[in-house]
Amino acid sequence: MANQRVYVLGGAQTDFARNWSKEGKHISAMIREAAAGGLEATGIEAKEVQVGHVGNFAAELYSMQGHLGAFLVEVDPAFSGLPTARHEAACASGSIALLAASAEIEAGRYELAMVVGVEQMKTVDPKTGGDYLGTAAWYENEAKGIEFPFPKLFGKLGDEYDKRFGLKDEHLARISAINYGNAKRNPLAQTRNWYMTEDHAKATGKFNTVIGGRIKVSDCSQVTDGAASAFLASERFAAQYAERRGMKLERIPRILGWGHRTAPLEFAAKIQASEGQPYVLPHTRQAIVDAFRRAGLKDVWDVAGIETHDCFTTSEYMAIDHFGLTRPGESWKAIEEGVIDMGGKMPINPSGGLIGAGHPVGATGVRQVLDAWKQVSGRAGDFQVENARRFATLNIGGSGTTSCAFIVGC
Amino acid sequence: MTSTTTEVRKVAVLGANGVMGSGSGELFAAHGIPTFLLARDHEKAREGLDRAVALAKSEKLADVIRLGTYDRDLPGAVGEADLILESLAEDLTLKRRFFATVDRHRRPGSIVATVSSGLSIAAMAEGRSEDFRRNFLGIHLFNPPNVITGCEVVAHAETSPEVVEFVVRLLERHLGRKVVRTADLPAFAGNRVGFKVLNEVAQLAAEHGVAFVDMLVGPHTGRAMAPLVTTDLVGWDVHRAIVDNLYRHTADEAHDCFAFPPYMAKLMDSGHLGDKTPGKGGFYRRVRDGGKTEVYVLDPARGEYRAAHDSLVDAPDFVPRMKRFHRAGRYREAMAVLLEARGWEADLLRRVILGYVSYGLNRVGEVVKEARDVDRIMGFGFNWAPPSVLVDLMGVEKVVAALERAKLVVPSVLTTGRPDRWFREPNVDVGRFFVG
Repeated sequence: MANQRVYVLGGAQTDFARNWSKEGKHISAMIREAAAGGLEATGIEAKEVQVGHVGNFAAELYSMQGHLGAFLVEVDPAFSGLPTARHEAACASGSIALLAASAEIEAGRYELAMVVGVEQMKTVDPKTGGDYLGTAAWYENEAKGIEFPFPKLFGKLGDEYDKRFGLKDEHLARISAINYGNAKRNPLAQTRNWYMTEDHAKATGKFNTVIGGRIKVSDCSQVTDGAASAFLASERFAAQYAERRGMKLERIPRILGWGHRTAPLEFAAKIQASEGQPYVLPHTRQAIVDAFRRAGLKDVWDVAGIETHDCFTTSEYMAIDHFGLTRPGESWKAIEEGVIDMGGKMPINPSGGLIGAGHPVGATGVRQVLDAWKQVSGRAGDFQVENARRFATLNIGGSGTTSCAFIVGC
Repeated sequence: MTSTTTEVRKVAVLGANGVMGSGSGELFAAHGIPTFLLARDHEKAREGLDRAVALAKSEKLADVIRLGTYDRDLPGAVGEADLILESLAEDLTLKRRFFATVDRHRRPGSIVATVSSGLSIAAMAEGRSEDFRRNFLGIHLFNPPNVITGCEVVAHAETSPEVVEFVVRLLERHLGRKVVRTADLPAFAGNRVGFKVLNEVAQLAAEHGVAFVDMLVGPHTGRAMAPLVTTDLVGWDVHRAIVDNLYRHTADEAHDCFAFPPYMAKLMDSGHLGDKTPGKGGFYRRVRDGGKTEVYVLDPARGEYRAAHDSLVDAPDFVPRMKRFHRAGRYREAMAVLLEARGWEADLLRRVILGYVSYGLNRVGEVVKEARDVDRIMGFGFNWAPPSVLVDLMGVEKVVAALERAKLVVPSVLTTGRPDRWFREPNVDVGRFFVG
């Protein structure tokens, strides 16, 4: 029997500029706002939801709180008894939660699943937070006792590009400026009111210090409190939903394809394994290829835009050639030619991405798919890519360890 | 035929050394508009630049900023500018003197705006040329403008409607502002509604104590900061200028709330202005002892300060209950606790909070056109829960009944419409207004 189709009915995102610790809020409030906000935005009734999945990286560290699936039950009396689970794969946690939910829909187990990605990160100072993030690497070998291990690991990704193909930091600065610029049009982006220019991103100084290796503050994604929800449905539920909302089923976006691969945890092991191969992170490339193949698409030019994982400018630089916008090592060409700009041939991160919109770790994968849904539904407002029919996402956990890609479209 | 500004290529800021002047200058410069910061002397202008750079967190901001003095550079800077922004002290005589000079040197058709937080726009334009008057309006930004996006645009009778439209579009589309148009009435909309509450709480402190009223009307009631902490931050002099202006020039249902408390006047005479006079303090005084900061709290009756730990007050049980609900994101339940709580403390808090809803929404038709305007300026300018958010959370029937019980005006907007939701602003998490 063929797998069931998986429809995306929308969802909600919290304002990523909020500081929930300053607001005196518990992580359950974030889950509640994203879930309840999603119900309101989609017009889905709580009693229609049959299963709930939560993506989260490290609430045990940031908030001394585990068992997050159970907080879904708090959202609405109708959720009493709802089957729930929490999923973790570092920064790819949100995508893993989506994959779990979509697998259940595909299998015909449930008709409607609610997915919430969530991370509360401002409970601790930046250095402590950096240390917690180190657990997404092989902590003892790569992070223990190192201040801000991840910028350093992704700095090494840039160094590897430099070694194999050559890399100019001005191209990384341009990636940063584009993401901040896009974020200004996203009303839920963390940095929407921040100052950033390409000149600032190029310069090193008091306000743009080096964090590690070639990574400066302007190359980094943000420390963000935030949550996002998405509702996935079977064809049967989607058809009913379409009817009651006066829509055609064909107009409701689906998950057309997905990819999910895991590479060795240590960064050095990944780089060693890719020696002599065309792609620096072959497993990430494979996750992308898998998603396009499953969607029945020829190549990247069959989508209208990409929401990618720019935890650092180097990861977006990597994504450009790994998606196939250029030949391996030539990402700079797409940057120079304006291909990835809003209005370019392949806009990347119209939302502002992790650098501009923010990066609440466990929420990011869900936020990307929600933004892709907004794009293909024509609901992205000021950051809408015109006539977008299909959109791709790439969500990465660790230093390119767990890679998840989705194609969302009609 | 008079020319009209269709693009702002250059901005000149007068009073650029001040908090609002440098903040406003930063806003334009950060959006790539070459900005001339003018002050009394070069040193002062330099201070403005330093502040602007610190707000933007980038030295690159200086690339689009020029510095100058009134004596040497004002004529040229004002002559070149498409928009001249006045941010001098809130002193009508001083402002008028500068506007006379601006009028002599400005290019016809250039826009002149004041960031005044509540003086009469018409009075400022009096005696100026016709071209000046039709291009003159208020752009009331809130501090700090790079963070607080709420903003009021205030025309006077002679401001050209095209100029208003142009400025609103500039602020909304290019500078990321949430603009509210208000009538040229004292303190406009935000400060009229906001300082009604702030001064009422300051009055209540005389009877109930500083720590108690700040605890009672704290962040759990829909604000980022307790009211008296806010007044210390604003500065008592600014607070007084605003409420005195309102007391003198308005005569509405909340007139008594604008009477500046005598105990504050007395302390001001001996130099207490809030956070800007750290040695003297305001409602609070922070004393640094080595690495530690000890907080002292004002006793309004004696004009003396006591250590905060000696001023601890017991919170009535409904306050921690509200906070617990907020902490879990259950805002509706938290507000239900407020509505149903018993005791004089609950009555007092309801008087303040419902009084805010009543007074805010009752300005519709007078200071602003619709409830949405009050909601936007209180939400985006003050970071307070907008009145309509409180109505949504409490339920309109319950609010109207509670207003009647408390003998507060029931605003007509609450009885003429019956929307599913009163607060309709897109992309706003209402939860962000409530602190657990």
